[in-house]
Amino acid sequence: MPERLSRLRLSRQDRWGLLLLPYALGIFVLVIVPAVFSFGLAFFHYDALSPPVWAGTLNFVLAYTDELFLLSVRHSLALILLPVPLRLFGAFFVARLLQRNGRFLNWFRAAVYLPTIVPGAAFALAWLWILNPLYGPLNLLLRALGFAPPAWLIDPTWARPALALMALWQIGEGFIVCLAALYDMPPDLEDAARIDGANGRATLRHIILPLLAPILLLLTFRDVILTFQETFTQIYLTTQGGPYYATYTMPLFIYEQGFDLQAFGVASAAMWVMYAITGLIVVALVVIARQWHIGTTEETFVL
Amino acid sequence: MSSKRRPFLRALLRLLTALLFLLPLLWMLAASLHPPGEPLPTTLRLLPQHPTLANYGRIFRLLPLGRYTLNSLLVVALAVPITLVVSSWAGLGMARLSKPAQRRWITLSLAVLMVPGIALWSMRFLLYRELGWYDTVWALIAPAWMGTSPFYVLMFYRAFRRIPGAIFDAAQLEGAGVLQTWRLVALPMARTTAVGVGLLTFVFYWGDFTSPLLYLRSGRHATLPVALQTLQQLSRSDWALMLAAAVWTTLVPVVLFLLLQPIFNRRPKGERP
Repeated sequence: MPERLSRLRLSRQDRWGLLLLPYALGIFVLVIVPAVFSFGLAFFHYDALSPPVWAGTLNFVLAYTDELFLLSVRHSLALILLPVPLRLFGAFFVARLLQRNGRFLNWFRAAVYLPTIVPGAAFALAWLWILNPLYGPLNLLLRALGFAPPAWLIDPTWARPALALMALWQIGEGFIVCLAALYDMPPDLEDAARIDGANGRATLRHIILPLLAPILLLLTFRDVILTFQETFTQIYLTTQGGPYYATYTMPLFIYEQGFDLQAFGVASAAMWVMYAITGLIVVALVVIARQWHIGTTEETFVL
Repeated sequence: MSSKRRPFLRALLRLLTALLFLLPLLWMLAASLHPPGEPLPTTLRLLPQHPTLANYGRIFRLLPLGRYTLNSLLVVALAVPITLVVSSWAGLGMARLSKPAQRRWITLSLAVLMVPGIALWSMRFLLYRELGWYDTVWALIAPAWMGTSPFYVLMFYRAFRRIPGAIFDAAQLEGAGVLQTWRLVALPMARTTAVGVGLLTFVFYWGDFTSPLLYLRSGRHATLPVALQTLQQLSRSDWALMLAAAVWTTLVPVVLFLLLQPIFNRRPKGERP
């Protein structure tokens, strides 16, 4: 293949660029075109059997007047508020704890990462068992400690906190990213601060957190987006949106509209709303970050 | 005195953290050893009184689990190599571009990362149906053709950018073409990244639940996560049975991770984990 390429008299630079071709084609066919079409479908009636029919903004009206839709928006937002900050702090502090020196450090790190590797469906089953109100080990433990534990996934008020709890165990990626960022920090920096008389908390607040802020911001973006979409498997396999719709979120609504009811147009309209909300949250985060003078995503990768 | 106690406290805290993270897995494993037919205990104990592996035999009799396991293995056997080639090519191509072009590709990749997966479900469904991929293994591994995730491309990009330009110039002087340089020069220098991307890809396809749910109809190509869902619907209260299947599904990626884990810790200077 290299011989043939040189016969085409491509410059060296262009030949390096050719390596990007499969990737470019892939994201065009598998992401960009589907995304464009899927957002366009919001303005059509489409059931995957007969050709699409123009519907104007009817799908948005249909979604907006669907009580379940508004419910799903509220629950999706509620599901971001609790787990995302908890996951971020968890990943950061565990990374700090396992930052350097010590015996078995590699094995401790592996232990923290291990739950992230568990397949989503197996993870969901494990937690269905752990959170089982009668036989589940968590409630047996809590009862042994003298608490009166809730029914978790079966109780409408505790179902969302239970999902947030589950999500706390799969923070491996954030943990690795924080660890890498701490690893990149000059090691003398902390020592210098200590010599200058800064205590642990001051070092954390004035040296480590500002240095890590761009990475933490990037992780927040990622987690917000992931919590919006990746929670589908967990919810689908644990509560199916119940009890009494307490965990009914936007991905579930979109899945039901598209794949159960073949109302692809309404599903697309809901997607527009979901994307708009994600965008608003990201913009809000960027505005906050700017006020704190934190650089954002792109530089983190270019650096 | 406190300087003597602190390392000990820290070590203890580290141990407890590690155990806390392992706890769900230990509970899952312990419950899978519960003898079938016996009532579940209502007091706290980690292991059942008479631990048994009987449930593992039962899941294989109840479901064609061997078949599902082979299907899962086929998916990763196809998806991981394709992903590694596509994402490392793209990462290398990106690293060799001019600075402004690099920036454009990074922005594009980040934009693609922002597209929610659900936004693609219905259109990919229609696309796969047109291509004849619906209800085949190709529908399950399709994202591999774009390197699975732009995140992996960016990982390779970061690794390849560390290689000095002089090395590429030398390879060119030696008469190495683009593909030869990729295979003989660039890839060996980004081995840790390649293993990392390979592992992440393996874990992703092995645990992928939505693709089989959306793009498979018959059970022919069903993978292990589908088996777990089937089992959950078949035997709602047979916890030991369900958790044995969950442990079986978890086993391969966990063993692979523990085998590969030393590679990430053997960190050459300058290369990031």
